[in-house]
Amino acid sequence: MKISSINYLVRQGLKSIWTNRMMSFASFCIMLVSLLMVGISVLAAVNLNRIIGGIEDMSEVVVQITDNIPDSDIDELKSRIQMLANVNTVEFYSKENAWKEMMDDMTEEEQELFQYADDNPLPDTFRITVVDIQKMNETTTQIETLDNVESTKSPTDFADVLISIRRILLVISGAIIIALIVVCLIIISNTTRASVFARRKEINIMKYVGATNGFIRIPFFIEGMIVGILAAAGALVLTKFAYEGVYNIFNDDFKRWNILCVRNLYSFKSMFWQVAAAYAAAGALIGAVGTSISTGKHLKV
Amino acid sequence: MVEFKDVSVTYSSGVDALNKVNLKINDGDFAFVVGPSGAGKSTLIKLVLKEIDATSGDVIVNGFDLKKLRRRKIPALRRTIGVVFQDFRLIPTMTVYENVAFVLRVIDAPAKYIRSRVPYVINLVGLSKKAKSYPTELSGGEQQRVALARALVNDPKLIIADEPTGNIDPELSYEIVELLKGINECGTTILMVTHEHDLVRYFGGRIININQGNIAFDEVIGGSNEDQQH
Repeated sequence: MKISSINYLVRQGLKSIWTNRMMSFASFCIMLVSLLMVGISVLAAVNLNRIIGGIEDMSEVVVQITDNIPDSDIDELKSRIQMLANVNTVEFYSKENAWKEMMDDMTEEEQELFQYADDNPLPDTFRITVVDIQKMNETTTQIETLDNVESTKSPTDFADVLISIRRILLVISGAIIIALIVVCLIIISNTTRASVFARRKEINIMKYVGATNGFIRIPFFIEGMIVGILAAAGALVLTKFAYEGVYNIFNDDFKRWNILCVRNLYSFKSMFWQVAAAYAAAGALIGAVGTSISTGKHLKV
Repeated sequence: MVEFKDVSVTYSSGVDALNKVNLKINDGDFAFVVGPSGAGKSTLIKLVLKEIDATSGDVIVNGFDLKKLRRRKIPALRRTIGVVFQDFRLIPTMTVYENVAFVLRVIDAPAKYIRSRVPYVINLVGLSKKAKSYPTELSGGEQQRVALARALVNDPKLIIADEPTGNIDPELSYEIVELLKGINECGTTILMVTHEHDLVRYFGGRIININQGNIAFDEVIGGSNEDQQH
């Protein structure tokens, strides 16, 4: 195909957006709302996932070390634990440290009670974070078999809860997003079908003068793509305002949320290009594919 | 050249539209196709354009054996045929110039050729002054002349005119047929379907009369315009 023809087809596509502006506007609005719904659902899912991830990272296995063993044995134990597959970090926490932390958490009256304790009853510990919380149970069992391990404490029940929450969330958000995408595709292909139907005469004439299907489709394709990209731009702007509104609520009161182990949400800035690219790609794709599907029906003359 | 060999068409509703039709239209012919409504005239044209396929028999158009022609190749066939419809079928959002140029763009003609060919053809049908008008701003006769220019611009071997005078004033009908005759004299084969017997009697030539799916009459008659000249 010659460059002049491509030029012509692109101009035809642009022109028909204007000639059929009511239809283009309808497609634009529907695509905008659809993209917005899917986009916000995805962002919510991504952030919830991050929050749960944050909670998971904070769950540690506490390993109590047998009392009064030489430092060399402690080092050996540490390196053995580190060699286990699922172990992420191992931190030594001395009994003095633990004592101090415990005292800090107490009220003054309680502190007085312990002031005269002549010996520190707390053990030395390792605090271990794991790579995969689902295997926490397994890892804990492995650690218990090692020498010089007095006992272990791990929030495995809590881990199970987190795992199932995450799983449920994944299924629900996945289902919602898939349902939204299906609904969007149906609505969009119907809208474009209406706009194609309005121009079926034109398509019919093209067929009679020997236009190939590709030639007939390209202007529709370009039209759909441009409307899709415009809708994506609109959705991006709206998402930015909506997202930053929610983000600010969480961020202003960050301390309160922090107690619940909620990590910082992703800032919109940090995701801007990914979100913009995803919207543009989705808009262009839905627009182009939607129009192509609906032109197909009218091409069989 | 158009050739029908034992062509029958039966629609899915069970209606026999054509019944073992044999017909040959040579290059350079001008033929009128006449006959009552429902006789099979439209079916004939649909077959030539491969809008429908023959139930049995062979249709050969401009060297294409339509039975063997793949869907993908239909545009190639249609590029050798110009079509003029009763209802003009111009694209309302395009000017006269664009409507005509459109055909050349479809076949990927060079821009330079389009710029010289389109004004030439528009001039040929006498609409140079209306090149920038939109179809809705033209009379029926003028619209049909645009349609004729569109059918002609591609320099097709065959022009099919399906009741080209059906929607325009009778006195302008003669003008349209005169134009078709002129095109025919330059070597283009013309197949014109019509209801108007006055027109046929006036111009004469080859008359193909279709009745109930059969060819009832296929002969060359002298036109009354020629009688007047003699």
